[in-house]
Amino acid sequence: MKTQNSNSGLSPIWNWKITALSFALLFVVGILAISFGPVSLNFVKIIRTLFGLPDGLTGQDRTLLIDLRLPRALLAALVGAALATSGAVYQTVFRNPLADPYLLGAAAGAGLGATIAITSAGADLYSLLPIFSFFGAILAVLTSFFISGKFFAEPNSLLLSGIAVGSFATAVQTYLQQRNSSSLRPVYSWILGELTVANWQIVTWSSIYILIALVILITVSKQLDGLMLTDEEAYSLGINPNKLRVIAVVAATLATATAVSASGLIGFVGIVVPHLVRGITHRVTNRGLLTIALVGASFLVLADLGARTLLSPAELPIGVITAFVGAPFFLVVLRKKRLVTQ
Amino acid sequence: MSTFRTGALFRICATAIAITIVNIYPASAASVSPQRIISLSPSATEILFAIGAGTQVIAVDDLSNFPTTAPISKLSAFSPNVEALMNYKPDLVVLNADATKAVEVEAALEKLKIKVFLEKAPKDLSQVYLEVTVLGRVTGHLASAQNIVVNMKSKIRSAIVSARKSVKISFFHELDNTLYTATSDTFIGKVYKDFNLENVADPAATADSAGYPQLQSEYLIKVNPRIIFLSDAQYGESTATLTKRPGWTGITAVKNKSVIALPEDIPSRWGPRLIDFYQFIAAAIGKIK
Amino acid sequence: MIKVEDLNVRLGHRNVLKDINVEIEDGKWTCLVGPNGAGKTTFLKALLGSQPYSGSICDSGVEVFRNHDRNVAFVPQHPQIPIGMSVSEYVMLGRSKRDGWGNESNKSRNLVADILGLTGLFGMQNQYVSQLSGGEMQRALIARALVQEPTLILLDEPTSALDLHHQIAVLNNIELLKERGVTIVSTMHDITLAAMYAEKIVVMQEGKVLLHGTSEFVIHSPELKAAFENRINVFTLESGRPVIVAKKDLGN
Repeated sequence: MKTQNSNSGLSPIWNWKITALSFALLFVVGILAISFGPVSLNFVKIIRTLFGLPDGLTGQDRTLLIDLRLPRALLAALVGAALATSGAVYQTVFRNPLADPYLLGAAAGAGLGATIAITSAGADLYSLLPIFSFFGAILAVLTSFFISGKFFAEPNSLLLSGIAVGSFATAVQTYLQQRNSSSLRPVYSWILGELTVANWQIVTWSSIYILIALVILITVSKQLDGLMLTDEEAYSLGINPNKLRVIAVVAATLATATAVSASGLIGFVGIVVPHLVRGITHRVTNRGLLTIALVGASFLVLADLGARTLLSPAELPIGVITAFVGAPFFLVVLRKKRLVTQ
Repeated sequence: MSTFRTGALFRICATAIAITIVNIYPASAASVSPQRIISLSPSATEILFAIGAGTQVIAVDDLSNFPTTAPISKLSAFSPNVEALMNYKPDLVVLNADATKAVEVEAALEKLKIKVFLEKAPKDLSQVYLEVTVLGRVTGHLASAQNIVVNMKSKIRSAIVSARKSVKISFFHELDNTLYTATSDTFIGKVYKDFNLENVADPAATADSAGYPQLQSEYLIKVNPRIIFLSDAQYGESTATLTKRPGWTGITAVKNKSVIALPEDIPSRWGPRLIDFYQFIAAAIGKIK
Repeated sequence: MIKVEDLNVRLGHRNVLKDINVEIEDGKWTCLVGPNGAGKTTFLKALLGSQPYSGSICDSGVEVFRNHDRNVAFVPQHPQIPIGMSVSEYVMLGRSKRDGWGNESNKSRNLVADILGLTGLFGMQNQYVSQLSGGEMQRALIARALVQEPTLILLDEPTSALDLHHQIAVLNNIELLKERGVTIVSTMHDITLAAMYAEKIVVMQEGKVLLHGTSEFVIHSPELKAAFENRINVFTLESGRPVIVAKKDLGN
């Protein structure tokens, strides 16, 4: 893909073989993830069970595969895809390679929502935690848009509003935690990110929102490249930059809010995976968004496998793994490809 | 291996007033009681071994250090790993309701047809006695459990009677050197209350719904407690370090050296060793004035 | 022909463009000159169609505002430089109007290769845009505008950041567009260069058009000097070419 043929002009901007490869990667990683764990299961039987063939797993083993490992792996894939894609989109919209999906106060808003759910009198609200953190994230982003005022979709003012909203939400959250110290542990472990016990219910509703958001983003992905230029340049090439920014941010926020409400704050995926894909493919075009989603999914599925097995029988918080793996990877890519000018 | 009714689990829902036991597991003979118990709660571990169910326990969490004969493992009490639990092939798991995602872990274990006892941290002694009794029921050691409860009640009562003064003595319970404390709403606060001690933290009760507010140095100096209990003695706090704090040499407890270092673990466990705790407090109070 | 009638543009509380009436002829190079703050860039944006205005700007009889049927190239003074994008990818973006976003036809690839050669960027096609020098960046911008095959090209200070011989090279490249019938509108600080290349000049000051017409007419007019508060001198070389310089001694 990097070689250029002087007879036929330039090499293609995007090679769809890469995307196909990332599909295959996700598939392989997925099979790996459900095959390994503290309990060892017969691999052949796993395959048989998955394809509904006879002589598969039975009893507790079957329940383990179908009701525990499979939804957890699927949730990891969904959340990984959501965060990686949102991160890539935010990086384009804000023209900033360090942007992550939690900008605009989404993380702080989700954290505040979760804290409100945990600290509210009546332990029954705990089951509503995902809803609270979801709306917390959405409301925070909406507020950022609202207070950026007439510079509605202008990237820099949105960024500043997001910082303000995030700081405020964090302050309120800290206050609530101080007044209700029993919430400290649950909120802290939520912040670290946990996929500990996924079930089919969580997988179902989060997949609906995340897939909707991803479809929207991938549909507009080609035009997103225009947002890397000034608004006039984008306009001259046939794009309405403000409208596109709003659509992109809304969809990305939907994906992020859903991911966060299902699995807490898992960091690094949104920054590392887009750069990883861009570094390997030498392309920054947003046509790579689908690939970024797939690689993000694989990344988190692998990280979750690590969370379950590395310190077995204890669970390692998945945010720790993504940081441990993500940071060095990121540095290597940065140095090799010199993506940021000196 | 497992001959129990599938899907049966029991739960203690503690409310401030009443305690309900749902799906009470029938008092069982030793032959059908669980034989492969995992305890993910240090307090439950102590209780299980005290009532004689120790032989039925195959693994305890990494913080369950008492009794020393308990089969301690790397299982985590606070971050339970469902698959790791499954590997042990238990027939009963005692799970602390404060564990991360306890509700979901319980549901997952249920799906795997493993029974779960969801243990909520007791708010007072009566709830502790209830837990001991229920665990006795479940493991087929009901009689033994009831004896333990009777013993606890009587020993605790004598400890209280021996040390309780008619005049309220003020005290401060220090959780750490940034002056976090426990009010009378907490379990440990109630222990002190049994001795008719006056907790200087109580006026600050509204600051934290869980009963662990942070006090100011100024306030403590003003309110001048006669006893200070150090729960952070294991982290190096002592009379010597307290006298170094500005203004603290004027506090009665410090002046009279009525600063009591609490032993590790015992104050944070609820089980038969509560007797030891009550007796410890009784002895400490006895030495005052 | 682009007909501008009673054009007024308000940005915030300021009237940036006031009652502008000009005609921009097809296939010719029109240059906007004037001091800073005259509204030249805003006028360009209005011609582009992205800037709201009151009044009328009609390109071949159709209002230009938000009219995406036109193929207009815009070359900004300060472009956003995408990090990590190669030169060839950057120039290829210019084909998005014709091919649609994200599809490059073979024709496009060949065209981009040709234009890269024309602008001397072929050897740098895999370098990152962020690594280009000022002159190379300008050429990349021109290249991108060229591959767009526009009917109208708007350039905001296309030569400000360049050294002398690069300025001429870039302007020569732009001049090539005239052969293809493209209408060119540019803003320029350097009036000498404007006089060299543009057939029409529009003199602006504080949002108003003081004068517009052919280069010869405008260069020697008193309105040009008035726009710059009489701080310029207009000289004519033996060859007939005008040279406009600022006065050193501000007394006269």
